[in-house]
Amino acid sequence: MKKIMKNKLIILMAVTCILGGCKKSLLEPVPQTQLIPDNAFATPERVEQQVRGIYGGVKSGQFLGGRYFIYNDIRGEEFLNNTSNGVTGLQTWNFTLNENTNEVTNFWNAAYNAINRANVVLLGLETSPLDVALLNKYRGEARFLRALSHYSLLTLFGRPAWDVPNDKYGVVLRLNAETNSDPAANVVPRSKVSEVYAQILADLNFAEANLALNNGGGPANATRAHRNAAIALKTRVYLSLRQYANVITEANKIVPATAPFQAATGVAHRLEANIATVFPPLVSPAVQGTYTGTESIFTMPFTSLDLPGTQNGQGSYYNPSPNGLGDYYLNPAGITANAGWKTTDARRAFNVVTSGKTYLRKWPNNGGSIPDYAPVIRYSEVLLNLAEALVRQNNTVDARAVDLLNAVRQRSDATTTFTVAGFADAQALIDQILIERRIEFLGEGLRSIDVMRLGGTFVAKDIAPAVAPTGTQYVWPIPLRERQTNTGIEQNPGY
Amino acid sequence: MLLLFGSAFSQNRVITGKVTDDQGNGLPNVTISVKGTSIGTTSKPDGTYSLTAPTYAKTLVFSSVGMSVAEVSIGDKDAIDISLKPSNKEMEEVVVVGYGTQKRREVTGNVSTIAAGKIRDVPVQSFDQALSGRAPGVNISMPNGVLGNPPVVRVRGINSISLSSFPLVVIDGIPSFSGDVGGTASNNVLSSLNPADIESIEILKDAAASAIYGSRAAAGVLLITTKKGKQGAARVNYDAWAGYTEAYGIIDVLNAEEYTMIKNEGLVNAGTPPNGTTRGFYTMTDANGNLVDTDWYDEVYRTGFGQNHNISVSGANEKTNYFLSANFTDQQGMLKNNDFERKTGRFTLDHKVNSVFSLGGSFNYSNTFNNGLNTGSTGGAFATSGVGRLPLVLAPNVGPFKNDGTYNINTASNSIGQGNNLSALSFTNPVILNDLNKFSSESDQIRANINGQIKLPVGITFRTQYGIDYVNFENKEFRTGQHGDGVQFGGAAQNIFGRFQRWVWQNTLQYDKSFNSKHNLGILVGTEQQYTTISSWGADRRTSADPFYDEYQGSYTGIVPAGNSLSENYLLSYFGRVTYDFKKKYYFSINARRDGYSAFAEKYGNFGGASAGWIVSEEDFFKNANFSNVLSTLKIRGSYGEVGNFQGIGDYAFYSFFGPGLYGADPSLAFSQAGNTALTWETSKKTDVGLTFGLWNDRITGEVAWYKNNIDGLILNDPQAPSRGVPGNAILTNIGSMENEGIEVSLSANIITGKDFNWSSSINYTTQSNEVTSLATGNTDILVATGGLETPSIIRVGESIGSFYVIPTEGVNPANGRRIAVLNDGTRVQYAHPNSWTKVSDGTASRGPSQATDAVVMGPALPKWYGGWDNNLRYKGFDVNILIYYSGGNYVYNGTKAGLRDNRNWNNSTEVLTRWTKAGDVTNIPRYVFGDNVSNGSGLVISENVEKGDFVKVRNISIGYTLPGTLVSRIGLSNIRFYVAALNPFTFTNYTGFDPEISSNGNSTGSPSVDRNSVPLARTINFGLNVGF
Repeated sequence: MKKIMKNKLIILMAVTCILGGCKKSLLEPVPQTQLIPDNAFATPERVEQQVRGIYGGVKSGQFLGGRYFIYNDIRGEEFLNNTSNGVTGLQTWNFTLNENTNEVTNFWNAAYNAINRANVVLLGLETSPLDVALLNKYRGEARFLRALSHYSLLTLFGRPAWDVPNDKYGVVLRLNAETNSDPAANVVPRSKVSEVYAQILADLNFAEANLALNNGGGPANATRAHRNAAIALKTRVYLSLRQYANVITEANKIVPATAPFQAATGVAHRLEANIATVFPPLVSPAVQGTYTGTESIFTMPFTSLDLPGTQNGQGSYYNPSPNGLGDYYLNPAGITANAGWKTTDARRAFNVVTSGKTYLRKWPNNGGSIPDYAPVIRYSEVLLNLAEALVRQNNTVDARAVDLLNAVRQRSDATTTFTVAGFADAQALIDQILIERRIEFLGEGLRSIDVMRLGGTFVAKDIAPAVAPTGTQYVWPIPLRERQTNTGIEQNPGY
Repeated sequence: MLLLFGSAFSQNRVITGKVTDDQGNGLPNVTISVKGTSIGTTSKPDGTYSLTAPTYAKTLVFSSVGMSVAEVSIGDKDAIDISLKPSNKEMEEVVVVGYGTQKRREVTGNVSTIAAGKIRDVPVQSFDQALSGRAPGVNISMPNGVLGNPPVVRVRGINSISLSSFPLVVIDGIPSFSGDVGGTASNNVLSSLNPADIESIEILKDAAASAIYGSRAAAGVLLITTKKGKQGAARVNYDAWAGYTEAYGIIDVLNAEEYTMIKNEGLVNAGTPPNGTTRGFYTMTDANGNLVDTDWYDEVYRTGFGQNHNISVSGANEKTNYFLSANFTDQQGMLKNNDFERKTGRFTLDHKVNSVFSLGGSFNYSNTFNNGLNTGSTGGAFATSGVGRLPLVLAPNVGPFKNDGTYNINTASNSIGQGNNLSALSFTNPVILNDLNKFSSESDQIRANINGQIKLPVGITFRTQYGIDYVNFENKEFRTGQHGDGVQFGGAAQNIFGRFQRWVWQNTLQYDKSFNSKHNLGILVGTEQQYTTISSWGADRRTSADPFYDEYQGSYTGIVPAGNSLSENYLLSYFGRVTYDFKKKYYFSINARRDGYSAFAEKYGNFGGASAGWIVSEEDFFKNANFSNVLSTLKIRGSYGEVGNFQGIGDYAFYSFFGPGLYGADPSLAFSQAGNTALTWETSKKTDVGLTFGLWNDRITGEVAWYKNNIDGLILNDPQAPSRGVPGNAILTNIGSMENEGIEVSLSANIITGKDFNWSSSINYTTQSNEVTSLATGNTDILVATGGLETPSIIRVGESIGSFYVIPTEGVNPANGRRIAVLNDGTRVQYAHPNSWTKVSDGTASRGPSQATDAVVMGPALPKWYGGWDNNLRYKGFDVNILIYYSGGNYVYNGTKAGLRDNRNWNNSTEVLTRWTKAGDVTNIPRYVFGDNVSNGSGLVISENVEKGDFVKVRNISIGYTLPGTLVSRIGLSNIRFYVAALNPFTFTNYTGFDPEISSNGNSTGSPSVDRNSVPLARTINFGLNVGF
């Protein structure tokens, strides 16, 4: 009896399934309005768009679209705070950060989001059917951006490279695509500062070998990475490492022995004759400048549909109303007080007095209508990097260094000429080079990097205190959300 | 030879008799049939019948709705009279369970039934609004009085956090769409079903009953069965009602003089007194010199009229039954511009082709038109043009029109015109918005199915059903460029057109067999496929060329895409049920289902439930005991099982996506969503133990059940280490868990059953307790926002979901009129506007309280107890029905009260007239300082605004009169009943807001019982008649 029952049951089930006409393929629908990993790298155009997406991540207003430069400058002594607004960097400026502060959290999120985009693209390229040379170029771009991002994180969250006893306080190195749930991937300790630099250089070396020499002329020579951009970034990185011989080696690839200084291979970078070509002045009606001329090595572009975001761009912070919020104005006791910086110097034209305060108007337009591009690296920085490295490496008043210094100074101030004889010793020349950097790159996000790589103290300004290299606030705290989810990470001492 | 054959086969006999009830009255329409055949007839109005039956007929079966079935052996009798007893409701009632029916006595799961008569005449738009208080374990509340708004439905508490906690709605076996498909105008998709077409509603609550629906059953299952024709002569019914509806519970606000006085007092207290040039509030006069004193409620609310007509014709003979109905309803809501119209037509037919094969089908078309407005009522609590909010906040010393007759608007600030006030007023003019803006949602829905059944040999029945549910909807909005939300666009018209289309195909085999007349076995196996596509598209046209254009198709200069979505999902299932009973005393049942769903990477899941029941009262020892005179029925049952939930999850939930962007002027692609291939159903393990009893021959019946649901694998955003760089720094993961537990009690009694007077009553009572037991990694609290801004609700481990997280306040300091708050260390601090917090003890400066540091949890927000009490009285031709709905034990966050005490330019409730004015005043309204939005609870979420939400409501009253049968049959009708009914006539509560039932967040799981700038509920009175032909 039971057996008959059981057989009947089996027949019942079989019959119902057949009758059901089960449609298995409907169980696997593919979305029609979004791209999924399986088809996101399938055509050359999609791969090109993915690579642009990495740039897009780096260009986030919380990252190299604006705030990174601002944080680096307001830590320095050139800017005083006007608005006491916690949303626009007040705690960065007056060194009262904690692990919950918005700057800390949002910057960390944006930087690692960009790094993950690079890693996701690198993973996708492995199975992409494009030709090898093109794949390697894209890999070069991804690794260039990954290196730039890790470096940017290091300059704020990590101890400086010269502080060898504290080498363990680097940042988290992320080299794998993070695309799904993986509890183990959450718990990753900080790599050592030296390890992070090693990876940055490895990425940049690969980039140098694989990036295009020339992105076809036009804006892409500045808005997309090319071989000379990797070399230029390396000069900055080696300078942070105090490896001056390497700075010289790298810079020599794109800087000739004598003036006129122009890169011989790859994109023919040279100084623009007029600084106003790089940073167009405020005129009405507003014009966009040639931000992507020969002096621009790497620049972040914006359009009216692709903006840095409210209160993220340099224009918003440094322009007084109505073009910006005027959160910061120039410290009268800062570099603007330097006597050697003549009033006839073309760069003085950026410093505009409004209602008794001097504002930096290098990005004069309102980010909402005609947004100004944000330069990341210019040729003049390579020249000054080389100059400083030459002097420090040889410990003499190097003639080529003086030539380089003159090239930068005389482009804006033809009446000043530096001579070898005019410098008492190597240190005097170094000091002048450092002053030139402060004048030339005012507002471009290099001040904090320079102070920290030299072991300097952030001097007091207005109500903001001084911070020595041993001070807690010399480096930024690891954000609370990272520490809550990444239990392997160690906070910077003092926080 | 032939003659002999002929006579042998055609030998029939005639049996006659009379069927009466236990009072001796003749019973009409009783079905008398020959057992085992389809030969039968129905009794006449006086109870007599005459049946021609074959000579081999052995047994006659007498059955009638509401009566116990009786079987009588014919023997050689020619006349059989019988008296039928009222059926034992609890045991003989037929209950619809998934994919079949059972007798109530056989049901070992927990199923509640609501009969059609209860909801037929209630003046609502959708049947689900009429179910409050009618079944234990099912709490249905109306979130506000806006027409077309879906009610809040919770079966045994809240069953999910990120997904939907709304039960699965199955109509005639086809899982149906539910929810709101409208845009700004609400459109409850279930309102397309004509309530008069519903025969019964079963609610499957525990795992044993609902596991047959497997992965969608965690929040319970609502089975709707629509009417079919009944045996006997064709019946024609016409039901109609007409009535009016108004808002109730309106809160009094200040009039023009009071408003002007108190605002100016506030200015003085702030140190910035009115100066006649830049500051101050001043009344004005209209063109006739009368004081302008506007009651903004009058400008926004109205008395709405409604009517509803329903006609149906149905009938059946032994082979065929049919039902045709049509419905027209046109209801105006309590708010101006809020209307609901519906037309439906339905036809069903079932036909027994022969003894083996039968066929059936139904077709249901409905068109619903919802005319709405921006009420800000569900989800838009802080909308500045939300009509719910405007009468509460607008200054009464200005009117909707200027003295020259034009609209009173201030175009520079896009708010209401200033009148004579010098201080700025905020908020928009609702009259121009109601006149010029348009919001509507119209849908056409077709529900149709065709089914067939084949009786195979050896007791197996094969059944197949193919059904469709297609909804097309068009949501239209126009916002004028002259005032309000449309100004920034220069006038904008938005049209979104969408389609939800679903087909379902079910095949089942049912095997029923009895062995030795002791063992009864039933086996069901089946498969089901369900395929749904969702497609919607539309655009927002902006900057109109001329104020004349107020339709999408007019002339505009800009266009932006809106409302685009395209997706599909597929559900493939195998299910089965085995039921076994021994001697109709011991019952066992197992339900199981295997579901494969397309939105998950791990496609399949298995669900099931088992239950057992024991009808103790069938035991011999019980029947012979002396207490069986009193305790006539006793049944014990229990069940356990596991079901799932995926309602509300995106159709591509487990996928990772790449999304578009820009780099400068070039398009880019970037990783935008980290998917989770391990994402799967939320699961709910349900335990249910209950007993059913009957006293005094089931004159009183009742049921008590205890339930516990352990919900696991709740889908939550699991935070990731930011250094991973995952978009959003979170990945949807099955990670949380929650418990719901409670007791359900229901009791029914025929208190008085007399010839002329009957009184029957039933009461149900449910307790519920919810506790969140784990959240995402680290168990961080989730704060849930209302209207995207305020966060009074918290989801925290160890607390009931959506409890309130507020800063404790202790009234007002009589010495100085300042609001007192309590910090986390117990320090009492007081607030003086602007921005000054000092200690109460000594006046020294102190930090102010913040929600993150000092808030405490006040809960639960979900009612601890709720239920209903239904009374039916009948005296001769009169009938009275009263349904009471009650709920309580919870808190409600009265955010509206915060707004009504705000010291900015907003109007206030009249209670601010009791504000503190001098030392020694004891009041809970602080000193009135203009600009203070902290003391009242706008800037901070405070416990002052958390109130108890207990209430008792008379939900429905109806009084009807049925004309005597003799009178009616003279004019050729079979019955006429007139009635007058009221919906929400009385509410008893201490809650100070409009109504404690209000939910500004609708069916949201994480933020229940929040009242923020909502509209009140409506009271409806209607007059109707039911006519039977």
